[in-house]
Amino acid sequence: MADLFTPLHDLFFYVSELSSSIELRESQYVWSLFEVAHVVSMCLFAGLIIMMDLRLLGIGNMQSPFSQLQKRLFPWQMLGMALSAITGSVLVFGDPMRFYANIFFWLKMLMMVIAGVNAMAFHYIAYFSVDSWDNARVPPLGAKLAGALGVALWGFVIIAGRLIPYNWFQNN
Amino acid sequence: MLEPYFQWMNDLAVSKAIGESIWIYPLVQAIHLLFLALFAGSLLIVDLRLMGWGMREQPVAKVARDARPWMILGFLGLVVTGMPQLMQNAMREYFSDFFWIKMYVLPVALIYTFTIRHRVAMADESRVAPAMSKLTGLASILLWIGGVAIPSRLIGLFT
Repeated sequence: MADLFTPLHDLFFYVSELSSSIELRESQYVWSLFEVAHVVSMCLFAGLIIMMDLRLLGIGNMQSPFSQLQKRLFPWQMLGMALSAITGSVLVFGDPMRFYANIFFWLKMLMMVIAGVNAMAFHYIAYFSVDSWDNARVPPLGAKLAGALGVALWGFVIIAGRLIPYNWFQNN
Repeated sequence: MLEPYFQWMNDLAVSKAIGESIWIYPLVQAIHLLFLALFAGSLLIVDLRLMGWGMREQPVAKVARDARPWMILGFLGLVVTGMPQLMQNAMREYFSDFFWIKMYVLPVALIYTFTIRHRVAMADESRVAPAMSKLTGLASILLWIGGVAIPSRLIGLFT
């Protein structure tokens, strides 16, 4: 098991010794800029994902057909995701060993993968039949399930992300 | 002027209890962020629409009416989860410029949202100039994200 993670550890360690990485974690202003940008990007991404999920659950944005939310919010969600990913990667680049040793960081990564699979599964299963429930007051079970899972999984991503500074289970 | 009041808040038994628990404060912070996402989503869906982006095939009033209860719920959740954070850190907040920026912009943003922005979003679209609509959405984003959300994050980064 330990051997399996050695390449990952070495990569994180290698990055942590780069002069650009050291400079980033020692610059309070640049670091803070990316922290702030990461939260703002999260607002755009998670905010608009929630708006879509509320519609899938049949409890919010009910005056608009689902396909409208999907089509018109998608580019903004993607922009939010790209900005979150870029700003988040910069933060990891700037302090890799802190994240490497952090359980909440890895939980967040895991949740993101599962949330991504959920989104793909929805897109290829429930969204396939969108024409038949686009305006329905009560979306089909598959759509509701995707919406509930979306809110829960992205919610866990946010919670885990916020808990990264509290490394209760760190072992060095 | 308000220092004694902040000191009083700081010394409350509840504030001390929050500070002594290792998990209450982090959990409150995390839930605060969840409500932030809900609030920001219901804000941005309307502001983007006002600026002519996003849900542009739907009337603004429809989008705004749908988003309103979620925006209010998000805001209330932010206040409820914000209060314990303020109480536990009362003196740190008192001496933080960013906290006061947030507190001055917040009522402006709130009044703006429920007066001007509400009126523009609900108005007959053919009678609202596109520039007026765009400006209304832009001002809302600047107030809430630039004036409230960003200073909030900065409180913890610069103390």
